[in-house]
Amino acid sequence: MIMERIVVDKVSKKFRIGCRRRKDTVARMISIFSGKEPKKIIWVLKDVSFSVRAGEVVGLIGENGSGKSTLLRTISGIYNADGGRVRTKGKILFIWSRLTSLGRRLTMKDFIYLQCSLFGLSRKSAKKRFDSIVDFSELGEFVDTKLYQFSEGMKQKISFSIAVHCDPLILLMDEVFEVGDEKFRAKSRKKIRELVSKGASVIVVSHNLSLIRKYCDRVLWLDDGRIAGEGECGKVLKSYVVAETSKRKK
Amino acid sequence: MDIKRTMELGLALARADFKNSNENSYLGILWYPLNPLLMFGLLLAVFSTRLGNNIPNYPLYLLIGIIMFNFFRKTTVGSSSSIIRNAVLLKSVKFPRESLVLSVVLKSLFSHIFEVVILFAFLVFFQNSLIGMIFYPILLMFLFIFVLGFSMFISAVSVYFADIENIWSFATSLIWLGTPIFYSIGGQARLLFVNMFNPMYYFITAARDIVIYSSMPEMWMIAGIVLYSFVSLFVGLAAFGRLKHRFAELV
Repeated sequence: MIMERIVVDKVSKKFRIGCRRRKDTVARMISIFSGKEPKKIIWVLKDVSFSVRAGEVVGLIGENGSGKSTLLRTISGIYNADGGRVRTKGKILFIWSRLTSLGRRLTMKDFIYLQCSLFGLSRKSAKKRFDSIVDFSELGEFVDTKLYQFSEGMKQKISFSIAVHCDPLILLMDEVFEVGDEKFRAKSRKKIRELVSKGASVIVVSHNLSLIRKYCDRVLWLDDGRIAGEGECGKVLKSYVVAETSKRKK
Repeated sequence: MDIKRTMELGLALARADFKNSNENSYLGILWYPLNPLLMFGLLLAVFSTRLGNNIPNYPLYLLIGIIMFNFFRKTTVGSSSSIIRNAVLLKSVKFPRESLVLSVVLKSLFSHIFEVVILFAFLVFFQNSLIGMIFYPILLMFLFIFVLGFSMFISAVSVYFADIENIWSFATSLIWLGTPIFYSIGGQARLLFVNMFNPMYYFITAARDIVIYSSMPEMWMIAGIVLYSFVSLFVGLAAFGRLKHRFAELV
């Protein structure tokens, strides 16, 4: 029987966001004085349901603000769903581009230990994997350099190297699927394939459709918090492109 | 809550924060004891012949008050912004949120230990009995519990009410003046009554009894310490546990 690693069942998520409202002078003065802004509730995810099996790579596409990152955060448990439920099996790691800003003033070595600890490794097991993480990142000569002196590409390499060494069974990647130079990309692809072949599941968020077509077994298309399409890459991507083009024409 | 993971992560975050805050500083960790020491020197110069006239071993009396209050103030003020300061972290990883507050308390505990070493040196210098220092760690353990609970509460509440951070920073200055740190309560009944509701009064008075005067604190003082510590921890954990689920969305 094929194991389902992620089951998202009728999940909804709301946020209170700042908005502009017609106000009388007194209300406006109070608002200026207190700095408080009026809030309204928006539903970022609406009744989203799908599942991801072990050993599957799923692409997640949609316009900016369609709820992709919120969905990944809800799956990883960073956000609690306001409706429905998420069930997962295995260790979840969420990687996004700002992960390295946590340790801007730390050396690469200290950052690796901190990040491993955040990803659930004990200091002892982080120590055991340290050399392997550094080797994989190809940044061995910068171990004692502070992170703010690194280029964006170098930082992404470190984040990726740490994540794949922390035994993830569910890897959620927000716009960070292909990082670094071509050599590193090839190595990352191989590593992800290795994890997937061992039963891990991957969800990739990207605006790069050719990348999605190349690596994903299936695609989910999120539009205004709802699933607008799901299934085989070619078909869903085609409808997505058509919808986007017609929106632009309008 | 996974206590082992929370502890490990709290320690890792404290270590990272410690390295961050000492970066590019010439005096580095020397700043930790230097700050209370400068305050001590100033207050001693101003008050030793006035308010400290009738207080036996006034320099030690003053130093204990300063370092214990410093631990309380630094930790709670630091904690009040600890969740908001770590917005990116909260949005990136699911981890026990309690470890963020724990890291602030551990970092302060580390600098408090530096200050205790200085206190020890002063005890030797003034030829005071050292026997009381053996019991100080027990008192420190209760202070740690009290401060941890209080920090949990204030860090969680300030995510929902941003004003708390400023209010608390101001309130600690008032509490500093209200606590008998550089003066003695003497016979002032009203001041004593107010201090009954000030947990730091209990901790500081008990520490002076034990460390300087090598005497057992009064029973009601010990009862106050135990009560304030566990009530603080209970309320802090309960409030934090209730509010923590929405931290990532609100910061």
